Amino acid sequence: MSLLKVEALTKKFGSKVSVDALSFALQPNTATALIGPNGAGKTTTMSMICGLLEPSSGKVTLADGGDIRKHIGFLPQYPKFYSWLSALEYVEMTARLSGISAREAKKRSEEVLTYVGLGKDMKRLTSTFSGGMKQRLGIAQAIVHKPQLLLLDEPVSALDPIGRAEVMELLKELQRETTILYSTHILHDAEKVTDQVLFMKEGRLVEEGTLQEIQQRYANPRYSIEFVHEAEAEAFAQSLAEHAVREGSNVSLPIDEQLPTMNALMALLSSSRYEIIKVERESASLDQIFMKVAGVGEFTASTAR
Amino acid sequence: MNSLQVLLVKEFRESWRSFKFIWIPLVFILLGVSDPVMNYFMEDILKAVGNMPEGFQMMMPELQPLDLLMASTGQFQLIGVIVLIAVFVGTISRDRSSGTATLIYIRPVSAVSLFMSKWIVAALVAILSAVLGYAGSLYYTSVLYGSVSFKDALIMIVTYAVWLLFVMALTVALSAAFSTGLAATIAIIVIPIGGMIDSIIGSFWNASPWKLVNYGVLLGSDTALYDDYWKTLAVTFCLIIICLVTGVWATRYNRSRTKV
Repeated sequence: MSLLKVEALTKKFGSKVSVDALSFALQPNTATALIGPNGAGKTTTMSMICGLLEPSSGKVTLADGGDIRKHIGFLPQYPKFYSWLSALEYVEMTARLSGISAREAKKRSEEVLTYVGLGKDMKRLTSTFSGGMKQRLGIAQAIVHKPQLLLLDEPVSALDPIGRAEVMELLKELQRETTILYSTHILHDAEKVTDQVLFMKEGRLVEEGTLQEIQQRYANPRYSIEFVHEAEAEAFAQSLAEHAVREGSNVSLPIDEQLPTMNALMALLSSSRYEIIKVERESASLDQIFMKVAGVGEFTASTAR
Repeated sequence: MNSLQVLLVKEFRESWRSFKFIWIPLVFILLGVSDPVMNYFMEDILKAVGNMPEGFQMMMPELQPLDLLMASTGQFQLIGVIVLIAVFVGTISRDRSSGTATLIYIRPVSAVSLFMSKWIVAALVAILSAVLGYAGSLYYTSVLYGSVSFKDALIMIVTYAVWLLFVMALTVALSAAFSTGLAATIAIIVIPIGGMIDSIIGSFWNASPWKLVNYGVLLGSDTALYDDYWKTLAVTFCLIIICLVTGVWATRYNRSRTKV
């Protein structure tokens, strides 16, 4: 039983199609990363899920039905708060707007602010907060009403590495109690807190699955051999015909039936008299997979390094 | 209506903490006091400044209390109302363009609560300012020129409050419907310039919201105006309701225009 179902969701702005027949489902208590280059339609998709934007066609349904706004928490990429409210007043107000009683709202607001690490600063005005603190406050307002679904738009993009690690750690904890859908273009962060990856490009879903599955699909493992002399590298590449790609004194070749294992390659190399510096097996990094799926530049031996 | 109450608290906090409840009433008090005091001391001021030609005879008009209240009302209409429009014309549109509205709009809050909280607080600031402004004007008028009956003063102030309800309903509705710049342009054209048009060719009709304020002041001396007064009051209330309904509709319609 999936918690959220998105069916053929489409959004057109004039003649421009921002989101094109997007369909996916989220299982309860999972974290899903929505990945894609800028302009892929991630924010538009999130806006439609949380009801800010009316879809041109298609629909979004939550398991319980009813007003979806009661059951979701949303953190925009650049959350803006009323500068003349304190953090506690702000979170209390949002909790009450989500239908929580006054007394309960105060108690829970204090709890979530302490939880996100703003316990000492909850009486301060939001205008005095740093970027990282605003992001935490944004998370606090998104979880104060215990939503079934937590939507986060680029929750870590604007943060420094320490802030990123802290926010991802928070998400990991939250995942135990709620379902999370977040967008990002930092796959390295997605690696830590993700059950499912949805890859969007130009408004369409181009890849989905677990991160491991996608990694395997795009890993494109190759051997990379570095020779001492460029001439020997050239000679070796020639002997292997079209598979090998030479670049300077480096030769890269695919792993196929011809040389299925590292041992086979080593045997071949030691039977020759070439002088070798390094032999290794390498696969595409997450960033390269991102580039490849996004269709920015082809994956080649040189980018594999 | 729980969400209306929460949003009202938020709006009050904003207006209080940005000193709107202090500086706007001060503007109105200054405007209200200036006419009775200036006129009373005009002769002395001119004498003190001097440089009058030899044999110059000053003919100061004999001002009645009502004339001064009319003058104060004119000040409120000319300057006060523009201050109020300028302050509140961005009340909804600015929240949208800055993105602060986003985190409110994603919650189960009705457009009625959103709009009414903005209008109620804007109207309260406006009415409080006008009441204090008239209080200043009435005080100096009665001290320097002669008393005004309580009933006349009350009718005048209540009438002006109704007019401000209309001005603020229009301003906030425009803010809900358009961007801040466009809303300000339309509000400035409709309210003050509409008033000018009404005073130039307004003799062709006897009920329009712009006449309401003048009727409110003149009723003190001319009870024959009561017929027109009631008609105008009814027209104004109708327009207030139209503004509120349109404003709520525009708030809902423009929900997606908030910056995410």
